[in-house]
Amino acid sequence: MLFIIITVLAVLGLAFRLTFFRFLAEIPSVDKRDLPALAGAYGEWLGDGMRNFFKPGFLIKVQAFYRTWVGKNYPGWRQWVFAALVVSFSYCAASGFFFAVFVPRGMFGILLLGHVMAGGLFAVSLATALILRAGAFRPDAGDPGSEKCNFCPVLKNLPKKGILTALFWMFAAAGLCLIVTALASMLPYFHYRAQMPLLEFHRYGALAALLSVMAYFDFGMLLRRG
Amino acid sequence: MAIAQRKIFGGFFLTVAISAGLLVMALSADDQHLKWDGSRVSPVHRIPLKDELNQEIIPTESYPLPFSTRTTCAPCHVYDQIRRGLHFNATDADRPAGRPGEPWVWADEKTGTMLPLSYRKWKGMWDPRDVGLTDWDFTVLFGRHLTGGGVAEPADKDITPESRWNVSGKLEINCMGCHNASRLQDPSEWARQVMRQNFRWAAAAAAGLGEVGGMASRLAATWDLFDGPNPDDTEWAIAPSVRYDPALFDSKHKAFLDIAYKPEDSRCLACHSTAPIGDEKHEFDGDVHTASGLECVSCHRNGIGHDMVRGYEGEFKDNDGPANEAFTCAGCHLGKEADKGGKGFSGRLGAPFPKHNGFPRIHFERLSCTVCHSGPLPAKEPARVRTSRANRLGIFGVARWATDMPAIVEPVTIRGANKKLAPHRLMWPSYWAEAKNGKFVPLTPDRVLAAAGDTLNAAESVARVLIALFNIPDLGGTPVLVMAGKVYELNLDGVLDVSAYPGEAPVDDLLWAVRKEGKVLPLLPEFDPDAGEPNPDAEAQVQRVLLALGAMPGAPGDPVLLFKKALYRITNGYVEKKENPAPSEKPKLAWLKDGKAKPLFPDFARRAVLTLTGTDQTLTEEQVGMVLQKLGKDHVFISSGKVFYLNKKGNLEARSDEAAAPVAWPMAHEVRPARMALGTNGCTDCHKAGSRFFFGRVKGYGPLRTSRVEVRSAYSFMGLGKPYHVFFGLSFAVRPLFKVVLLAAALVIGAILLIAVLLALGRASGLIEKRR
Repeated sequence: MLFIIITVLAVLGLAFRLTFFRFLAEIPSVDKRDLPALAGAYGEWLGDGMRNFFKPGFLIKVQAFYRTWVGKNYPGWRQWVFAALVVSFSYCAASGFFFAVFVPRGMFGILLLGHVMAGGLFAVSLATALILRAGAFRPDAGDPGSEKCNFCPVLKNLPKKGILTALFWMFAAAGLCLIVTALASMLPYFHYRAQMPLLEFHRYGALAALLSVMAYFDFGMLLRRG
Repeated sequence: MAIAQRKIFGGFFLTVAISAGLLVMALSADDQHLKWDGSRVSPVHRIPLKDELNQEIIPTESYPLPFSTRTTCAPCHVYDQIRRGLHFNATDADRPAGRPGEPWVWADEKTGTMLPLSYRKWKGMWDPRDVGLTDWDFTVLFGRHLTGGGVAEPADKDITPESRWNVSGKLEINCMGCHNASRLQDPSEWARQVMRQNFRWAAAAAAGLGEVGGMASRLAATWDLFDGPNPDDTEWAIAPSVRYDPALFDSKHKAFLDIAYKPEDSRCLACHSTAPIGDEKHEFDGDVHTASGLECVSCHRNGIGHDMVRGYEGEFKDNDGPANEAFTCAGCHLGKEADKGGKGFSGRLGAPFPKHNGFPRIHFERLSCTVCHSGPLPAKEPARVRTSRANRLGIFGVARWATDMPAIVEPVTIRGANKKLAPHRLMWPSYWAEAKNGKFVPLTPDRVLAAAGDTLNAAESVARVLIALFNIPDLGGTPVLVMAGKVYELNLDGVLDVSAYPGEAPVDDLLWAVRKEGKVLPLLPEFDPDAGEPNPDAEAQVQRVLLALGAMPGAPGDPVLLFKKALYRITNGYVEKKENPAPSEKPKLAWLKDGKAKPLFPDFARRAVLTLTGTDQTLTEEQVGMVLQKLGKDHVFISSGKVFYLNKKGNLEARSDEAAAPVAWPMAHEVRPARMALGTNGCTDCHKAGSRFFFGRVKGYGPLRTSRVEVRSAYSFMGLGKPYHVFFGLSFAVRPLFKVVLLAAALVIGAILLIAVLLALGRASGLIEKRR
């Protein structure tokens, strides 16, 4: 139950923070002191964003964006590594969180089998992606760049590159946690009482990975509207 | 007047006060006996035996009455409290049924009736009262393995007119049946006495306290205990009586009862044995708990109320016994969560703590411990077993009491009421029924037999002839019937046994013969009746055979021998040769009635004997069809998971129906050692293509010999789908490689993360210069 509460609060909270700050950045003219008007404007902005999903050109835009971004970061055959990572993580996250939050029994059946298989693909693609892209996120990079990112009210004006680097390594570490906990539960070394914390680690690792992906997507990939 | 009133009132109050005082004393005496004084020693039971009239028994009297547990044990143990216990309370409406247990099976082999019964409301089992069984009927049928009490000891208001309780007495709780530590305690003797309807004498006989003679079942229904023995009949209708063993009594007529506080396992196993068919006794391992020194009652405990712990998960919901949850598998092996105080304690009675390394937790959430740890290992088909109560085990004597039917199999994994899978024992009900208001109502075997006539007497019709042939003077061997190259012979129980013909089988399809010194010789010598000269030796043998057949009780006609143009029959005690109107090449024994010759037994009986002898099945489809025709429309026969009925053309058809569904009850024993549990060799003990655990088959089986049986897969009993488990099982073929891939990926990711951390540390410490 605790995991469900933390998950719902964390995901909704981060989604709110990301969208709200993006809203403020895109519409600076809004009066921040008039809360009802602010909420109304935010809702309208959010609604517009949602409607965009269903507009005829949306998929073409996504495709173009994907080609541009992937072409730059994962050129050539490397794009398949990224595609495998996206697909496997998306399936694992969707199936895992759906069952963890909404189905008391937990995951079972074909979906669980798919989760395990997608997990294998995730492990391989993450390892490959790290080999290919870790160099771009060296923690000893000297120049953090001039672009700032207002990540949260506490950590203001952090360098965007530093945040993206942190999110990248956070995702990698969470991925490692996911793989190790899944593998450990399959090995004949941990008894039932040890498997319970393994499962908890697996779940919280998945939550960390999801949050890092959400934040990375917002800061590092998503362009401003218009 | 006032003085008189005062005296009356004074007397009344004095009486009330004395009565109240006595009542309080009596109650506190009971309370005192209910409380344990702390000593772990069982008292020696050297006590006076009392009869059902609460009179002390003097064993040296001429006709002492049998001892009554109700009165003998009463001074110290509250009988009415004990009779609310698990073994006696099946009919108590206020008691929850609890987890399903083994039914009583009304088994009648001749009619093929195998009807699961229970007074407890368990799925698929019939309440004996709903199929016309009174308490008396039930006790006569099943008293052999009843503990006494309950339905076997009905209240006077519940006694039905046709019962014979006044003759037999009631079957009181047989305390000694469980608590007697003496080697003399004999469950077989109990069964014999119950079969003789010597109910009130059974406990004394079974406990070895004395010798019981006579048979209440042969006495007139008007006989009463006070009538005593019948001096006019000392051979047949002998009134039961007990002759106590004087060595057990002291000079004050107190008997020494070797009472054990904890019943020995053998006492429990008298009624609760289960063993695979076909195994030898020495091959049977038994339960690992027994092997490690535990007794049945180590877990199946009870207080004075005898409300015994059954030991299943969630029993506390059905029974508020204090320790019910403590004696489940988890109760001892894992400990009780609430008692843990953080880490908790497990290992009660030395139970090892199970680590279950590598088992995904779903196994513990969806499976009972017994799935992996109990019963035989999964096979292509579950194993046939026999149980004491269903198959009448443990009753020893010259005759064979045990039966192969009902066919009970184990293990069949079924999802229980708690949503967990558990191994079950299973049987397919078999009974004749009448369709009433959309339901099939079972017919009693008596009613079926009355309607069936001789249709169900196939083997008996052959056996009767063989018994008659035993009476041939100077036979010198055992009469046998040779059919289709096999030899049919009566065994000690009067049942046909079949064996291969020794040597080259005769050409004749049916031959009456005699087995002498291992050889099978024709009953009738070779001779030619059409020859001019008579053969006196042969005709003498024909005479002996025909005379023996003529003496057969219920013979349907005069025995004759038909051979070529001759017809031999007995006239005035001598064989007479006449002309055979229908000449035959081979000698044929037959019954002659109204001028027509009939075979010694009907053709359908011949086919039935050929089909059934040597099997544990008792009916052919032909017989079922014939009986259904006699029973009339709206009647069916249920067996092997199918409902058999006659179509409009009168042909036998079969269909699946919920009424023919199997009946199952969870099993807990025999528990195997941990290293023999499923999963010891890894996941593929169950999860693989072609897994016997998931893809084994359960085939319907019953007294009807038929190929039309219900076949169900193991996964269907579990409520699972086949495609998923086929696919899931196949995935385990690549599971080792999958683990290697995961490990490799984890090593790569871990190594890169380590480098990143080292770089970050290097930069933070200044060991590495900032990159430009």
